[in-house]
Amino acid sequence: MFPKQNDRLQVMSHAVVGFPTLDENEKAIAGLVASGVNLIELQVPFSDPVADGHTLVNACYHALKNGGSVRATLDLCAKVSKQHPDASFILMSYLNPLYRYGLERLFRDAAAAGFKGMIIPDMPVEQFEPHMPLLDELGLAPILMVTPNTPDERVARIAQSARGMVYVVSRMGVTGKQTHWDDDFRAYVARIRRYTDLPLAIGFGIRSADDLKALTGTAEVAAFCSKYIEWQRDDGSEVAAQKMKTLLTEAELV
Amino acid sequence: MIRSENGYFGEFGGRYVPEILLPALTELENMFNELRDDPTFWQEYVSLCQEFSGRPTPLTPLRRLSQELGGAQIWLKREDLNHSGAHKVNNALGQGLLVKRMGKKRIIAETGAGQHGLATAIVAARMGLQATIYMGADDIERQYSNVFWMRQLGAEVVGVETGARTLKEALDEALRDWAATVETTHYVLGTACGPAPFPELVTYFQSVISQEMREQALKQIGRLPDEVVACVGGGSNALGAFSAFFDDKDVALVGVEAGGISFEKGEHSIRMLPDTAEPGIAQGYKTLFLQDEDGQLGDTHSIAAGLDYVGVSPILAHLSQTGRVIPESATDKEVTDAFSLLMKTEGIIPALESSHALAGGFKRAKSMRPDQHLVINLSGRGDKDIFNIARAFPQPEWPEFLKREAARCQKQVDAAKESN
Repeated sequence: MFPKQNDRLQVMSHAVVGFPTLDENEKAIAGLVASGVNLIELQVPFSDPVADGHTLVNACYHALKNGGSVRATLDLCAKVSKQHPDASFILMSYLNPLYRYGLERLFRDAAAAGFKGMIIPDMPVEQFEPHMPLLDELGLAPILMVTPNTPDERVARIAQSARGMVYVVSRMGVTGKQTHWDDDFRAYVARIRRYTDLPLAIGFGIRSADDLKALTGTAEVAAFCSKYIEWQRDDGSEVAAQKMKTLLTEAELV
Repeated sequence: MIRSENGYFGEFGGRYVPEILLPALTELENMFNELRDDPTFWQEYVSLCQEFSGRPTPLTPLRRLSQELGGAQIWLKREDLNHSGAHKVNNALGQGLLVKRMGKKRIIAETGAGQHGLATAIVAARMGLQATIYMGADDIERQYSNVFWMRQLGAEVVGVETGARTLKEALDEALRDWAATVETTHYVLGTACGPAPFPELVTYFQSVISQEMREQALKQIGRLPDEVVACVGGGSNALGAFSAFFDDKDVALVGVEAGGISFEKGEHSIRMLPDTAEPGIAQGYKTLFLQDEDGQLGDTHSIAAGLDYVGVSPILAHLSQTGRVIPESATDKEVTDAFSLLMKTEGIIPALESSHALAGGFKRAKSMRPDQHLVINLSGRGDKDIFNIARAFPQPEWPEFLKREAARCQKQVDAAKESN
């Protein structure tokens, strides 16, 4: 399940469904779990992923050629959530594939497949609000994003519908580039804490053990995604899992 | 003028963007809402268009062509005579005024055919702003002359290598840039698409076209036209040509989309006709998108890079469903025929984008009476299309010339290298 506030930092990692192949996804996820990762996003590949940098854009492009889809993501989750009962799987998708599938049907099928939460970067809180009773009934957490430029009153509104954890986008821009964990960043995290008791997941720009060390004590979750996909792309899923294990050891998180 | 309800036109429109872009869109919307009803702002905009871009553009009767076709009297609204050669500069100038008020020093834009990129580069040069233009790598190949000019004007042109490497990917990449730079950069979106308030904002600036057209028709024809025809890519020139006539129910408004090679998937860019696009939410807004069952945006084709887009303005999606706008399409072949006909009969070189409106308009005019009047919005001029036209009308002397010219250019580049 999701961590609680003030739990020790844990890493959330990533799979793009269909990258490098659907079969490989299952092995890669087993490798991540064996390395000590218990929060894993399964990303539905999309033709136009506007919040992602080039690593994930290219992974999406390949995944689509290899059969990645909403259906394949639900099927994969049904399998891996049974294989790894201690891990929590989070559906990550842009809105259109889910909208085409039918949002309400998707929410029900995602919960049935074992998903615990959802990250949909282009679905603003206003669009989630009408669905909250159903999502609460299903126990499917909308993990909503806040960004450094989100005004206070909007953070408050987002916090009202957020469940599971709040995804704190660490900086301006898209995924896949370095972030500096300076005083401004810590003040920003403190500002978000004023509006929610949920654990905070920091995302965008976490690429090394040093980044994880810098976040230990500041947040409960660190999203280590683009860099992991780069390992997977360059070295294959097995080596990527080993590197993940080394990373967690170096960051003193296992 | 059409007004949205909280950014929506019927079921279409809205604002579906990553959280990071919301503050800038809200700021832009607030500014737009304050300025849109301020007549002095409109006057400032119209004066700028006049002194810099030669507005008002004329309404030209096509006497010889109308007689030859034997139907309605055909008129052209000459947006091709704008500075930069297309209607795109209207919107770029208008948004330039907003940038000045915001105090931002950098602008970015997506571009398909390069006309909007060129217009943005021109405005940036005139206002002393830094400009970055995103353009699909394939479109760069198709429209190199515009790329050449954008760079000469001092803009940075970034080729986008992802996906199908056309307008859709350029828009994605511009949104990514904006997510990183939104506090210092304004995104000059080039068409009436994208998240609110862009569809309404772009339509507002482009409506100068139909406001002039209306006045000119009353003066030159003595009444309003029976039909107004425009090509539809994203929809900015069509909405510009239509918007002053929305309440004139007797004026038919016809939008011509790119029929491409055939009606097969991936071979056209038709979004508003049945069995083509479906409602979807992407690139920040809800509209009719060409897509597959999984909601992946589809591939498109058109002879005209400026019409080769997967979505369409939410305003047009809505108006095509209510029946106020009549959707039509023209194939690549019909387009090149209409292109030749206008050039040879009236001495005007149209853009291939605008030639879709010609093809659709000529077809409709033929079935109308000689006492009826049809206005076609000639959104841009065609000299930028010289390479594409040369391909559409193959003749041996053109590649021969290019070889000689390439050799001459290479010699100069080599000489410059040596002297360094």
